[in-house]
Amino acid sequence: MSSSTSHNYNFIFKFIIIGDMGVGKSCLLHQFTEKKFMANCPHTIGVEFGTRIVEVADKKVKLQIWDTAGQERFRAVTRSYYRGAAGTLMVYDTTRRSTFNHLSSWLTDTRNLTNPSTVIIMCGNKSDLETMREVTYDEAKQFADDNGLYFFETSAMSGQNVEEAFIETARIIYQNIQEGRLDLNASESGVQRRTNVLSGPINGKNTDMKENCQCIV
Amino acid sequence: MSAEMEDFLKDTVNPKDLEKFEKNYRRELEANNVSHSTQFEYAFCLVRSQYARDIQAGILLLEDLMTRHADGKRDYIYYLAIGNTRIKNYTDAAKYCKAFLQIEPNNTQVLGLETYIKKKVDQESMKGMAVAGGAALVIGGIVGLGIALAKNKKNNNQ
Repeated sequence: MSSSTSHNYNFIFKFIIIGDMGVGKSCLLHQFTEKKFMANCPHTIGVEFGTRIVEVADKKVKLQIWDTAGQERFRAVTRSYYRGAAGTLMVYDTTRRSTFNHLSSWLTDTRNLTNPSTVIIMCGNKSDLETMREVTYDEAKQFADDNGLYFFETSAMSGQNVEEAFIETARIIYQNIQEGRLDLNASESGVQRRTNVLSGPINGKNTDMKENCQCIV
Repeated sequence: MSAEMEDFLKDTVNPKDLEKFEKNYRRELEANNVSHSTQFEYAFCLVRSQYARDIQAGILLLEDLMTRHADGKRDYIYYLAIGNTRIKNYTDAAKYCKAFLQIEPNNTQVLGLETYIKKKVDQESMKGMAVAGGAALVIGGIVGLGIALAKNKKNNNQ
């Protein structure tokens, strides 16, 4: 991908995916970015990263998605990724009740570490495994409603509701921007607006992040 | 894919986090009782620093963990590969990727990193060739000039 096309978007939204080990966080990310199911997915080490450009209300939005490891030993360090997330996908496994029971602890972390405008979507993953279900839709929906969360049952395997969960999150964030509930100038809003994107390279020079970046790589 | 990896590697640790995990590490170090989890958490932050000397310190801590906590090797090898990539030490970074992939050949995190490293090494060797090629042109130019001058002198002498 050349740098002129890779910057062809109006906004960047930062997302994080959190939840217990083995609920299918990385599989959801893969299904969303690659449109395929990754079988036998190994445990994520630390954090994984994926991006995809989606369209929200005629605007191109680049989603930068940080997929955190669910293993307990990474919990302390992955907390640092919560900061500045515009959207959080909080995932449990519909076939393992314990992962649902732990949601309140994940929610506490999210509320403590993100800003109040962060959009939190609760995902009950593995909805394709109906015969193994341990958490009913109604019970989960009740929990979501009680805590003011958006809710989807998803299947990273069949793809059911995966697009919807990510794109709905982006849509709500965009709506929050439009209605002034999200301050883009706040340092940790998780949203960056990009300018001059549709006009393309100006005077042969592209608006490129690298120019202002003092990073090593 | 590689633009994505570039974004991932560009992301740096928040100084507040680095400070927090450094404090934990120093406290345990003073008590002469550093747990592998505290050392790993500090190293994890260091290899994501914007400063090369931090990354190098993180690499040393991870190398030490490799010798004293076999259970965490998978995590340590991966972050050794990340740290070395971030300081452009591609030889060691590739070595760690290779070691990891011998155990888990299909790990997408490491496969992605390995592809990125290979591309960077290719780019650098192309640059190297361009520099060498440039030098050859300059030398060629000087020699050519010398010959021309010599010819000129010869002509003048005639």
